[in-house]
Amino acid sequence: MKIRIDHKICTGCKQCEIACSLGHTGSVNPWRSRIRVFVGEEFCLPVIAGPYTEAACNSKGIRIAEGVDVDACVICRASCPAKSVYKEPDTGIPLKCDFCGDPPNPQCVLWCAPNALTLVED
Amino acid sequence: MFGWNGKILRIDLTQGTSRVEDLPAYLMKYYVGGRGMGARILFDEIDPRIDALGPANKLIFATGPLTGSGAPAASRFIVSAKSPLSNCVASPCCGGYFGANLKYSGYDLLIFEGKSPEPVYVTILNDRVEIHPAGPLWGKVSSDTEKAIRNEMKTDYGLDNWGLNCMGIANIGPAGENLVRFASIMSDGGRAAGRSGLGAVMGSKNLKAVAALGTGQVSIADVEGFRKAVMGFYAEARDNGEFQKRRRYGTWGLPGRANSSKSQAAFNFKAGYSEAFVKYENPEVIRDLIRVRDEACFSCPFSCGKRSRIKDAEYPLTAKGPEHETMALLGANCGLGDMEDICRANYLCNELGMDTITAGTMISCAMELFEEGHLPEKDLGYALEFGNTNMFILLRQIAHRQGIGDLMAEGGIAFATKYGHPELFMGVKGMGIPAWHPQAFDALGLQYATCNTGGSHTKSTMPFYEGRKDPAHFVEFTKKDQDYIAAADSGVLCWIIYHGPLWGEKLSEWLTHVTGVARTKEDLDLLGERIWNLERLFNLRAGITGKSDALPPRITKEPRVKNRVVPLDTLLVDYYEWRGWDKNGVPTRKKLEELALEKEGEGVI
Repeated sequence: MKIRIDHKICTGCKQCEIACSLGHTGSVNPWRSRIRVFVGEEFCLPVIAGPYTEAACNSKGIRIAEGVDVDACVICRASCPAKSVYKEPDTGIPLKCDFCGDPPNPQCVLWCAPNALTLVED
Repeated sequence: MFGWNGKILRIDLTQGTSRVEDLPAYLMKYYVGGRGMGARILFDEIDPRIDALGPANKLIFATGPLTGSGAPAASRFIVSAKSPLSNCVASPCCGGYFGANLKYSGYDLLIFEGKSPEPVYVTILNDRVEIHPAGPLWGKVSSDTEKAIRNEMKTDYGLDNWGLNCMGIANIGPAGENLVRFASIMSDGGRAAGRSGLGAVMGSKNLKAVAALGTGQVSIADVEGFRKAVMGFYAEARDNGEFQKRRRYGTWGLPGRANSSKSQAAFNFKAGYSEAFVKYENPEVIRDLIRVRDEACFSCPFSCGKRSRIKDAEYPLTAKGPEHETMALLGANCGLGDMEDICRANYLCNELGMDTITAGTMISCAMELFEEGHLPEKDLGYALEFGNTNMFILLRQIAHRQGIGDLMAEGGIAFATKYGHPELFMGVKGMGIPAWHPQAFDALGLQYATCNTGGSHTKSTMPFYEGRKDPAHFVEFTKKDQDYIAAADSGVLCWIIYHGPLWGEKLSEWLTHVTGVARTKEDLDLLGERIWNLERLFNLRAGITGKSDALPPRITKEPRVKNRVVPLDTLLVDYYEWRGWDKNGVPTRKKLEELALEKEGEGVI
């Protein structure tokens, strides 16, 4: 199973961040969320936390998405030392998406009203 | 503590100091948050007779226990202060990301006092609160101000692009700096705490902007119950056609609806219909013309905000809005019909930081004065009949107080009186009246006339929703809806959603799950009524009496729409009775005892 992201219909409401932190910590704090939404002018990008990497990569730069320049760090799923997201804000412990358990039942998908996030078969 | 943080951040701008206080328990119990707490603190801490633009006025950014809790459509914050436009207590509401970030920073309320000796802006990153000189920012338009602050914070705070992206900024444009009495406080590139001119209060304090970024949390008392309730609400919303429409069109469905039912504010309220708006009766047309994407406030699954674009090199790539009120007041009411022109006017007001509704009634008043020959062309320097795009020049002149704009910045009454026809300004208590023509529904006239902050549509609800259409109950609904919205504004929940397409008594459910303190519908009705009466007492102390519960003579004497006038005098008698007030609109001792406000009423009743 995987979570399919359709950035074209994401509205930037960040309910996924709220659902994720509520599910994992029992309180609402987007900084403790394993999914973060980057809000742009023309579209929003939900990005799900992947594996932790111990060093920042050297392929930083600008990528073009939908005809707009986007910082590559914004598209990258990795939790790394160069990024402020996907870390516990107090301790810096890295966070990774677990599809909310087994069998997969991701809270972010349930809370996404416009259906920008959907759970699909591989 | 669940829901609340239990902290007030108080910033003294005169001294340049800040301190954190505990939030008193009685405020949480009796006023919940947002508008309720704002009204209470203003009542306790300022003399209602002060000059709203003097240093004694206080500017309160207030969140509620639901702000940032994840309850659907609970991102909003309230700004409370004495209004420089109506001289009443004001509590405009604004969406976007600022409210939640203030909450995640660890504070429920942010209070500004005094006046800074030089322009400053304030940044809040959790407990790191700093006041910075705003020198080069002063004079910048709203979106440039935000960009500049983000750049500064990138360096000062070492924030990466993600961190900067999460931030919320409330700021003023040139109109607020120049103390235009209907300047608004802007947030997140186009959202506004718009009505009542609190942008001028912020300007009078030499405060250009407040930026907040919080990495803290809101604790939920009953996590499982809350999650279940939200999922149930989503399922309910999915089957609700009104909600689907609201998501697709936002408020763009309303101009056509108002126009086709002849209830549109048009040509300075001389008409209820504009020929040029017929083409927008199908909202798909507006969507095709200007929409870029749906843009939700923080934590709102309904995304009624729309980002738009026009093909004009002078204007930026994309911008927020325009919403229905803007389309009506700056569009039909000023005789504009072209959607690109309406977008330009909306964009100008947002960037300059002015309330589009009052600005619309100011311009339409000037247009009528010009057409009737009362306002000579030499005073303007150009022609200004209805539909003339010279109004863009005038909007800029108002914001910068140039030429005739200097007088117009003082508000509609001062301006229309100078040219001999105060009756041509369509306002209540000095504040322009909004988009639905009151002659279409008696209840609207009553709502505009009795609103505590001036001619506003956001303090009660429209009478055309299901269950609200029976004229025999208009007065009763007006009273109950005013109370309900006062309670929702204290939550803080977005009444556009909870009193519009999704009619429901969800407020008590969310509050109970989030705070763990059970509150029934009756508790909340009482809360709303207490707030409404407290605001009324503030106004009475400020010298705003029942005589100000009035409408422009055009609405009560000239049948312009549906061949009717609003019988305000008879409605008011009925309304005061429902409120438990005497015939002059002063709360009775009995009513105040019911609300535990008898001490507050001393000297007024």
